Amino acid sequence: MNDNPALVADPTVEVTGVSKWFGQKVAVSDVTCSFGPGLTGLLGPNGAGKTTLLRMLTGLILPSQGEVLVKGALPRAEVDRFRDLGFVPEESALYNTLTARQYVAYAATLTGLDQPEEAADIALETVELTGDANRQIGGFSKGMRQRTKVAAALVHNPEILVLDEPLNGTDPVQRAHLIKLFGKLAARGHTLIVSSHVLQEVERMTDRVIAIVDGKLAAAGDIGAIRRAMSDIPYRVLIECDKDRQFAAALLNSEAVYSVTVDDSRLRLETSDLLGLGSLVAGLARELDVRIVRFAPEDESLESVFRYLVGGR
Amino acid sequence: MKRFIAIVWVTVRQTLSPKRAIGLMLLSGSSAGIYLLYMIGTRGTSGRNVETAFETSIGMTVGVFMNIIVPVVTLIIASSVLGDERRDNTMSFLVLRPIRRYTIAVAKISAAFLEAFLLTGIGAAAFGILVGIAIGTFSYFVPLLVGTAITTAAYAALFVPLGYLLKRATLIGLTYVFIWENGIAAAVPALASLSPWRIGVSAMAGLAPDDFFNLVPADFALGSLTPGAGGALAKALVLIALAAAFMAAVLRRRDLAT
Repeated sequence: MNDNPALVADPTVEVTGVSKWFGQKVAVSDVTCSFGPGLTGLLGPNGAGKTTLLRMLTGLILPSQGEVLVKGALPRAEVDRFRDLGFVPEESALYNTLTARQYVAYAATLTGLDQPEEAADIALETVELTGDANRQIGGFSKGMRQRTKVAAALVHNPEILVLDEPLNGTDPVQRAHLIKLFGKLAARGHTLIVSSHVLQEVERMTDRVIAIVDGKLAAAGDIGAIRRAMSDIPYRVLIECDKDRQFAAALLNSEAVYSVTVDDSRLRLETSDLLGLGSLVAGLARELDVRIVRFAPEDESLESVFRYLVGGR
Repeated sequence: MKRFIAIVWVTVRQTLSPKRAIGLMLLSGSSAGIYLLYMIGTRGTSGRNVETAFETSIGMTVGVFMNIIVPVVTLIIASSVLGDERRDNTMSFLVLRPIRRYTIAVAKISAAFLEAFLLTGIGAAAFGILVGIAIGTFSYFVPLLVGTAITTAAYAALFVPLGYLLKRATLIGLTYVFIWENGIAAAVPALASLSPWRIGVSAMAGLAPDDFFNLVPADFALGSLTPGAGGALAKALVLIALAAAFMAAVLRRRDLAT
């Protein structure tokens, strides 16, 4: 059992000391992580190196240094290995003159399926595009184009799915549907690697994230654990109560509380010890007869964690 | 085989838009158009007889059609069959599949050939028919079509990799056609075997009646090449095999996205 949260026990995709540079520009620098069955969110601001890393996982680009192994072999070692892989790229990657059905059937044919049209129909039904299957892709909305790409990636039921911003351009209903679909596939034992900048969506999909900032691995593992590991960044907590000023003054006497601001019965405070703060607030509230309406950590969300990761560099 | 056919079919659909097809068809048919104007302009005059009509047709074949029109039409088509996949970001769709890279390369060159020959073949057929009417025999029709097919195939093999590797493939291809093929290789006969359109003309010269060979400006149109369809076909096939092997190596070893 390893203690490195970037590594999983049963990896299908292993990334070891991988760097990629384009001329003078370093896009990915010495990243080591692995992915196994289930869904892993790949996070990072624009230009962080997520797309470059995903392209290396698929074999589309080669690492300048280090190694990527997919099911124990280099992605480009044998072309037959691409049967295990489905890829949804961030960019368009569509043939606009084809209909959605032709496009997905083309993907099925190239993967060697015996009945590509039937497989295409099933994949299009999965992404709820059956009604538009015979329309040309050139006339599709962004959301429909995204779903067409997902259908083409799923058509051969690959073990590993690499999805680069698959929710881009989708409306809330489509998004919810795709998230549910990804969840189902992950539960069935497929390895899904999903990059997204929509943090709330990643939070809805998975707890396991890998964060890339400036081409480097910034954090990995469970979102809560990543936040707790950031011991140098104080927690922000919101407390709603009566007797706000009296309560704020009492809290400030504690060493665990760095600062308190009061705004209309709301106290916003910073602390280094979230657990200790809970006991402190309960004790002081009893002592001062203060009624606590709400006690909520404000920055344990993925968005806050991510903001810290990016801001800290 | 299903995958090979699928790649060819989608490539043709994707790269031969109606607008492009019409434009290239007009370009391809321009030799026939010019020859038709010549026929109309000289009808009933003493300046036109079978000999001059024949000489004019040969001049147009080796001075316009084979060495400019066929390469330019093929360049525009062939440079887009893989070049468009790269520009449109569809390379990942094609290459992340369990297909041998050599198969992809051969399918792409085949698609380029089929598309380009559809256009150059129609141009050659129209031109050949008019020449046949003007000189009273169609004995040059089949040699012209065969020569066009071989030239188109050889240029397709050259321009498919060029289109993938270079962003300004059309410009560089045109420079190659006009500067290298019609300038440098024309001045140095030993370089003729590296010139696809001269390979095509050598096939034509091998199949056509002797008077073609007697009239053709051999230094310019054939260089050091010996007339013969078999040899020309073999050269074109070697070019295709080399281009496919080169493209397959590129697809195996290079980054397929930036």
